[in-house]
Amino acid sequence: MNRSIERHLNILDFTLASLLRRKGKNGSLLAVYLLVVFLLASLQFYVTALKREASAILDDAPDLVVQRLMAGRQDLVPAAFVGEISRIRGVTRVKPRWWGYYYDSVNGANYTVLVSDDPAVTPGRVAVGAGVARARNLAVGDLVPLVSYDKKPLMVEIASIFPHRSDLVAADMILMTAQDFHLLFNFPDGQATDLAVSVRNPKELPTVAAKIVALHPDARPILKSEMLRTYQSIFDWRGGMTLMVLASALLSFIIFAWDRATGLSAEERREIGILKSIGWETSDVLLLKLWEGTVISLTAYLLGTVLAYGHVFFLSAPLFAQALKGWSVIYPRFQLVPVVDIYQLAVLFFLTVVPYTTATVVPCWRAATTDPDAAMRI
Amino acid sequence: MILHPAVLALLLIALLVSGMGSYAGYYGLRIQRFWNPASGSELQLELERKTYLISTIMNGILVFELMSLFLFVFTAEDLHTLFAGAMCAAGSLAVNPFGYPTLLLKIVNFLFAGVWLIINHVDNRGYDYPLIKIKYKLLNLLVPLLVLESVLLFAYFAGVKPDIITSCCGSLFGQNSGSFSGDLAALPHRPMQAAFFSSMVVTAISGIFYYLKGRGGYLFSAASVTTFIISAASILSFICLYFYELPSHHCPFCLLQKEYGYIGYVLYAALFGGAVAGGGIGVLMPFRQVCSLVQVVPAIQRRLAVVTLACYLLFTLMVVWKMVISTLTLG
Amino acid sequence: MIELSGITKTFNSGQPNQFTAVNNVSFAIEPQRITVLKGPSGSGKTSLLAIIGCMARPTTGRIFLHGVAAALPFRAEGSDSVEITGLPERFLNEIRRSTFGFIFQQFNLVKGISVLENVMLPAYPTGEARTDFRARAVKLLEQFDIARHAGQRTELLSGGELQRVAIVRALINNPSIIIADEPTAHLDSRLSHDFMSIVDQLKGEGKTLLIASHDPVVCDSAVVDTLVDLRDGAVVQSRGPL
Repeated sequence: MNRSIERHLNILDFTLASLLRRKGKNGSLLAVYLLVVFLLASLQFYVTALKREASAILDDAPDLVVQRLMAGRQDLVPAAFVGEISRIRGVTRVKPRWWGYYYDSVNGANYTVLVSDDPAVTPGRVAVGAGVARARNLAVGDLVPLVSYDKKPLMVEIASIFPHRSDLVAADMILMTAQDFHLLFNFPDGQATDLAVSVRNPKELPTVAAKIVALHPDARPILKSEMLRTYQSIFDWRGGMTLMVLASALLSFIIFAWDRATGLSAEERREIGILKSIGWETSDVLLLKLWEGTVISLTAYLLGTVLAYGHVFFLSAPLFAQALKGWSVIYPRFQLVPVVDIYQLAVLFFLTVVPYTTATVVPCWRAATTDPDAAMRI
Repeated sequence: MILHPAVLALLLIALLVSGMGSYAGYYGLRIQRFWNPASGSELQLELERKTYLISTIMNGILVFELMSLFLFVFTAEDLHTLFAGAMCAAGSLAVNPFGYPTLLLKIVNFLFAGVWLIINHVDNRGYDYPLIKIKYKLLNLLVPLLVLESVLLFAYFAGVKPDIITSCCGSLFGQNSGSFSGDLAALPHRPMQAAFFSSMVVTAISGIFYYLKGRGGYLFSAASVTTFIISAASILSFICLYFYELPSHHCPFCLLQKEYGYIGYVLYAALFGGAVAGGGIGVLMPFRQVCSLVQVVPAIQRRLAVVTLACYLLFTLMVVWKMVISTLTLG
Repeated sequence: MIELSGITKTFNSGQPNQFTAVNNVSFAIEPQRITVLKGPSGSGKTSLLAIIGCMARPTTGRIFLHGVAAALPFRAEGSDSVEITGLPERFLNEIRRSTFGFIFQQFNLVKGISVLENVMLPAYPTGEARTDFRARAVKLLEQFDIARHAGQRTELLSGGELQRVAIVRALINNPSIIIADEPTAHLDSRLSHDFMSIVDQLKGEGKTLLIASHDPVVCDSAVVDTLVDLRDGAVVQSRGPL
């Protein structure tokens, strides 16, 4: 065992010296490799962090939301539903929600308007998200005219602006009282946008949902888990799409690596011939070549991952943000929470180091099986 | 098809493993046909050089297979949120009929590749490549399995769509489910415990006897492979219950999660290690009398015996420790 | 002793450019003697050296190594001889590493690394501890009076100094047989005579030497025990004990 370890250490020593002797060739390979790892790692970290954010946010969402459909489109929910659903066994609370979208013709943005019992919000006074404030250049105390559905302007005063930290959920939000909401949208009485339902035992959710649909076939219950699943799918899909685009970059890199590995310079060929002729076996030279690949791979992988971490969690991934966050007039500005685990790192490893190793196995072997006899004639 | 980076990584590895395996298999066929060590012809020299490549490729395949086995389970775990009713990897794998066959074939291929590498190592120690033809015949059995595994993997991921209702752990591994894994969980735990401990004892005794006397290799090997199967069934039947401290939670994948300290990795590594080493002993038995291997094979078999015993000992100790300290008591 | 029997080496057999480098050569190399293979270039000397030195395999023929001390698993019980034809590369290598040291025509030193590292290279894959072979290398460099160049790159040395580095490298694994291919090709006659003195010294230390050369300084040297004449791959004549 000791001999085996000594052999590995000696050959590794020679490998490192050998890599440093050909700085140009190995440097350029390392640079490209690093770039590929960096791109893939950034993508991976960003998508995973977004998914974590989405599930963290949805933690506070109601277990079950009941909407009503009219001809396949969402319609308002009558208040009578509240009582009927409350009587279903297992339901602890049914809370009607009033919310909607307000289209701002000034800048083409849609704001999410929500009725809230926040004490800061009183009739004529609203709380807005940082995105809204940015879009309309607002400060606390400003008066803003909102155009209601019957063309009458509704003047509201900005009572407070949500901090930037809440941007991911509240950037485009306006909180107001029920009274202002009804005025703004000419909202009919006795109706709500949807109902938030809480149940005692989360395992009973599908059963309760089924019962609601049995009571009212036009009701659409949406489970929190379904929402979560949908968000995960979207981010996965977006991540996957970007990955497919990067796949062409990865492929180019693999071809480049293979080409580099195959194209041994005359000097390298001579060196291997010398090694074989002075007693290095094919397996020793193969080990040398594999160590070379390993050193370059690990360096590129570690450096690329670290740089990607900085790119995503310190700089907020300027390279990918547009593709992955989605399209919107108001973009929340947010800093993602660093989320890195072994699983992600393993996936990255498989997408970068494994293809590289595979591509270079045959060239390494070819180099290692150089005939030492030929070295005698060099 | 889910465009998840891990899924793409697994598909890529599957492609690479099949590709490399087929490449190795092709040269294996040439070696079987043209191999003649007494000849100094250029074809023979080329074939000898190729054996280095095939060894390297197979080593790579074994490592990738092991890593992708765990990555596959982890990905199934990660994807479970996309399927209604799936509580963990067990549910994800049940989404379509290809999930579990893929997993089982991955395990089989890993064990097969491990044993092949043992034979390869022994063959390289013999000065006249004594096992070369047998070795490459076996390779030609393994390569189609690797390709089949890739096909199943593709079929599984191609047939996976989010929002599909599947059975969750509870019903899949619950006592009343009719599926295979349900049946194992339904095996009464007392007889399974008896089977588990007695198979471990038999393996230990035969192993120690083999190590000291050099006899009974076949028995020991058979015992260790049987122990592997019984242990795997035991994990489903009662072992995981002690780890989860829940009498109804039979899922073998949750052991790999963070909540349980990733203990599953150690357990399964010990189990697989013991299976490969123990199986290797039996596979080498017919070659003890080969001229060039007379000194080589018994020495390697003794080392494998130590590995087998150590792995199973570790596994048993972990199980016993958990049974002792767990707050669960099975009636 | 190395015994060759009917050794033939053919390149590109079956193709239009088929070429027989070594043609049915049979002779023996006595232990602790200096044997010279004499012949013009193209006479098959280098191919024959490669075959004897376990670097290449003959197309036909057999080679035996007698008096091999190393405990090799492929010897018949009780015998001290090994047939090396047909051995796989791995075992040829084991024999080569432990039995042979090579000095090449062009010295074949690795550029870009120091003299000391060049000299230690054959020992790297043996699994020996680095401190051990490093100490041995330094001692050998001192013995051959080039220790002062230990840290220098080989590109900076003269022909004679390179010659001695090549010799030290050939000795690092303490082989019993030294093979040299045209060792004086790049040396003037004074250095060539110096080389033959070193060769004699090595013989005195118990080494067996096999030298391929067409240099008269080597072939006609008094220290040579056996001279084998090669022409077109075949032995034409030999003198000295066979």
